[in-house]
Amino acid sequence: MPPTNGTNGSHPDRKLVVVQQSGGNDYLNSVVPYTNGHYYDFRAHTHHDPEDVLKIDDTLAFGPTMGPMKELWDEGKVAVIHGIGYPQPNRSHFRSMDIWHTAEPVEISQEGWLGRVVRELDPKGENVLSAVNFGVGLPRALGCDGVPVASVGDLATYGLFPDLQDEWLRKYALEAFAKMYGAAAGKEAVMGFLGQTGADALKGADILRTAPERYSSTIEYAGNGIAKSLRDAAQVMFADFGARIFYTQHGGYDTHAGLKTAHPQLWSELAPAVSDFMDDLEEHGHADDTAILIFSEFGRRVRDNGNGADHGSGGVAFLVGNKVRGGMYGEYPSLAEKDHLDGDLHFNNDFRGAYSAIAEKWLGLDPAPIVKGHFEAFDLFE
Amino acid sequence: MFDLEYVKTIGGGRKIRPYDMAFAADGSIYVLNHATGFGAGRFTVCNLDEDIIAELPDDAGDGAFAQAVSLAFDSEERMFVLDEAKSRVTILDRQARFLDRWGEPGSAPGQLDRPSALRFDRNGDCYVSDQMNHRVQKFTPDGRFLLQWGEYGSGPGQFDMPWGLNLDSRGDVYVADWRNDRVQKFTPDGQFIASFGEPGRGDGQFDRPSCVVVDDGGYIYVGDWGNERVQVLDPDGGFITILRGQATLSLWASRFIDSNPDEKRTREASNLYPSLPPELESPFHASSQTEPYFFGITSLHLDDQGRLYVVESRRQRFQVYQTG
Amino acid sequence: MSEDIALMAHLMRRAGFGASRAELERHAARGYEATVEWLLRPGDPGDFAEDIAKRRAVGFDEGGAAFELWMVRMIHTNNPLEEKMALFLHSLFPVQYMSQGRALLNQLDNFRRHAFGSFRDLLLALSRDPAMLLFLNNNDNHRDAMNENYGRELVELFSMGVGNYTESDVKQCARAFTGWTLGNADYMAVRAGKNSFDPYGSIAWHFEYRPDDHDDGSKGFLGESGPFDGEDICGIIARQPAAARFICARLFLFFASDDIDDEGRKAIDDMVETYYESGYELRAVLRALFNSAYFKSDAARFARVKAPVELVIGAVRMTGASPTPGAGSAGANGASAAMGQALFRPPSVEGWHEGKEWIESGALVQRVNYVAALFRDADKPGVRDIIDRIARSNGGVYSPEQAIALCLDLIGPVTASQETRDQLLEFAARQGSVDLRDPDADDARTRIAQILALITAAPEYQFA
Repeated sequence: MPPTNGTNGSHPDRKLVVVQQSGGNDYLNSVVPYTNGHYYDFRAHTHHDPEDVLKIDDTLAFGPTMGPMKELWDEGKVAVIHGIGYPQPNRSHFRSMDIWHTAEPVEISQEGWLGRVVRELDPKGENVLSAVNFGVGLPRALGCDGVPVASVGDLATYGLFPDLQDEWLRKYALEAFAKMYGAAAGKEAVMGFLGQTGADALKGADILRTAPERYSSTIEYAGNGIAKSLRDAAQVMFADFGARIFYTQHGGYDTHAGLKTAHPQLWSELAPAVSDFMDDLEEHGHADDTAILIFSEFGRRVRDNGNGADHGSGGVAFLVGNKVRGGMYGEYPSLAEKDHLDGDLHFNNDFRGAYSAIAEKWLGLDPAPIVKGHFEAFDLFE
Repeated sequence: MFDLEYVKTIGGGRKIRPYDMAFAADGSIYVLNHATGFGAGRFTVCNLDEDIIAELPDDAGDGAFAQAVSLAFDSEERMFVLDEAKSRVTILDRQARFLDRWGEPGSAPGQLDRPSALRFDRNGDCYVSDQMNHRVQKFTPDGRFLLQWGEYGSGPGQFDMPWGLNLDSRGDVYVADWRNDRVQKFTPDGQFIASFGEPGRGDGQFDRPSCVVVDDGGYIYVGDWGNERVQVLDPDGGFITILRGQATLSLWASRFIDSNPDEKRTREASNLYPSLPPELESPFHASSQTEPYFFGITSLHLDDQGRLYVVESRRQRFQVYQTG
Repeated sequence: MSEDIALMAHLMRRAGFGASRAELERHAARGYEATVEWLLRPGDPGDFAEDIAKRRAVGFDEGGAAFELWMVRMIHTNNPLEEKMALFLHSLFPVQYMSQGRALLNQLDNFRRHAFGSFRDLLLALSRDPAMLLFLNNNDNHRDAMNENYGRELVELFSMGVGNYTESDVKQCARAFTGWTLGNADYMAVRAGKNSFDPYGSIAWHFEYRPDDHDDGSKGFLGESGPFDGEDICGIIARQPAAARFICARLFLFFASDDIDDEGRKAIDDMVETYYESGYELRAVLRALFNSAYFKSDAARFARVKAPVELVIGAVRMTGASPTPGAGSAGANGASAAMGQALFRPPSVEGWHEGKEWIESGALVQRVNYVAALFRDADKPGVRDIIDRIARSNGGVYSPEQAIALCLDLIGPVTASQETRDQLLEFAARQGSVDLRDPDADDARTRIAQILALITAAPEYQFA
């Protein structure tokens, strides 16, 4: 039997899918200010030519390889959140990503904002599959003591002791495993955490293993990593295990070099993957209750360094979904040099506002304990 | 007088991944690729003018080859392919269609343990370098065991993981005794005649020799794998010269460079013979940094015009030299 | 189980990848401090494995399979601490694979060369490492167009940490490294960016200094000023108390414990003192650590979560799962990647988050499945050895209790909780006593292997 849904929050069917663009997605070449002379001045070597970009209004355009995002935009399903960041920006990948993950710009914290979301959604930790990470390694955003999270490297081979052919032996081994980790879960510190993780893994494993066989779809995803991760997410979502939070990462955005080659290449993987995932949601009746957040730890410097751009601060995030109120949110920060913050676009939009909107308007949760305060939230949802 | 002259390079452009080769009677070159994919079959048939005549499939009769390492034609122009991982010989026709196979893993006479080279003598029988059994075995073309010699060790007639072998015009057998850093010479029935070389980087020394070929004048060409070079010895094993490699752009490589202007431009501004810091001066490092040098020599061949072919497994090509 | 053996097992889990009982007995006979000295002075690592790997898997070391070759080295090396230090330094100075596997293997050689030498020399070697230079774009750090990526990470992530330098120090540091690049940098960068292996396979990278592109003006760095170049910068950094504490704390966290408590802080203080006394020598610092009362204490045992590479290599070594290296190394690299640690694919330039962060449910499933499957095979040489040792004691017949005790001892020794022992016992008792007297007692041998496999699935086994 699949576990029951968590009960908190007023919209028990709604799901959030998070796509993390690791490395610092370049804002200027993702949402291109193609009529702004400063863009061509500062990005002398790495700008996209106006005839190549995908225009979305009189001043802004998506990068040349973001076609499927443009189509979703045209359908009114994409919110572009401009100038997103936080005060006193940190240009270290590690620290800045931690800040986004924990929603704590000042204090170092181990507790992830989505971990807190899951704790609110399912306070008793009844569903080990409330949050599922797709990919290798668990992001800090999902980390929270006492909150179970399943992490799936490869959905097709998920489970314990798959090599044990003897059914009885496997049953006994699984029983022993359950009891050993159950006992450890009552202990302190790391051993307790390990015990709980083992117990959760066991509960989640046999359930998750059934997802691929239940899945059938006409959508053909590409073979790259992000497409595969989103396909795995779709399989788990459609199997109705009560999963609410889906997390995945797309790496390689640290374009100190290759802003004209690697960066468009990344979007040429991500944009179709998101679009295919949306089509899959539509086909399976989940499109109206799923929202996708796409974010990165920071944007990149305004002035390029030749063929790339270094770590910056103010960036861009995207929210995608049928019930997302498509459009522009916030102002594109000024590109004029006098307005820069140490050579960066000046953020004008705290990311915790976007988190608040998601928590409150989408998941029906009180945002204050999740983002640790009150932040102005855009009206991102219909 | 002994003379050697660079002729050309064939390969690159993702056309071949050669490990061994053999000449057909019509002069075409059959390349055995250690990896397939990106358009290359298990065998690529080409000629000295760099025309690709055919790509032949990867069919060992029961699926793909696991680790095909040695190729030779018998007197009826059938291809004999040695699969190191499966310890067996597969026989194909010239279109690489499966005909037959023999050999099985083991250490009894006639059995094989990761064999690494196969060459025919003039009578149509073949010698196999039986790597992990540290011996050489002789078979009829249909796989009947004839004789064997050698055992593990470093004394005369002993081996430590023999790799390549070849025969001279009299039928004497030369074995690249890989981990003993030497080449040994035997009579056709395995009587020890001589041993050439010792471990080292100097003239006449070897580091893990992989292959050997002997010309009609008795000159011995040794693929000095670990030293990333070819050494030429006189018929008595005396040192003559060393080749380091001097590859130039093949026809296929030129086409690649011409169609990729960013690489062409930056390549033209590059020094392909860089001077290296001291920690990278070993032959292996020098070859890994210096594209024209030999890198990963796995087999040597002489055609009927006295041309020497040096197969470089790590550079997707072979270099051709004129001897005489 | 003797205390000598338990202590030696602890040392070998930390300074190596674990050891079989026969190895532990050899080390114990030599003595603890002598074994530490042996670890600190690597001899010939043995080239057999690499020779075979290079020969059988052509180009193994060129493309993205380079890390397989490193796995082969870790599995077969005679110098476990040397490889452990290479792993430590890869975690501390992580680079991503960028189409050039050989450059990464050369970087590891660079690390091995400096693993026991001075921290200053190590930083200098790192600053001349072509893979690092390209990874952090120092090939784009020019006299007239600075790229501060390497300069920043050197002080932030590689030597001192945030709070010990100013933004100005970062810029001046980057200036000092202008002109530090790799040979044929433009061509190599184009190829790396396109993952180009054409026309003739990959070309490895080497360091090149371009005086014409170096900014030799005066720089103010960490309170000193002068026309510094990168070598001066490394010297200045190595003198900083922040650097001493940084490298000693990182070594402590890697080799001693996932957490630093008050006792740990004292141990680090001693390491810092040794750092200065020895002229920044890492061998001396490691010696101080391994010989410290803290390291040998009970509190330090099983106080680290095994990193995936440690877990995988430890299991492959102990079971003898890769007796002769071939194209694969028992799937070691793929397994480690699935557990969250793909060599040369760290999540960021900051490296892996270690300790508790290795533990998540998906990774745990991978850990348990991979190791249990190795130990479940009674024909693996290392498993066979353990079973043979068991068969030689106690007349060859065992109650379930005795079998569990022997298995826990010989696979570690592993200290298991009462609850874990109860479960192991219940599992073993379902099949009654074990009789190993008949050498062909396949069924009994398989049952021992099943117990060993279950031990590796236990919570305790996840700790080193």
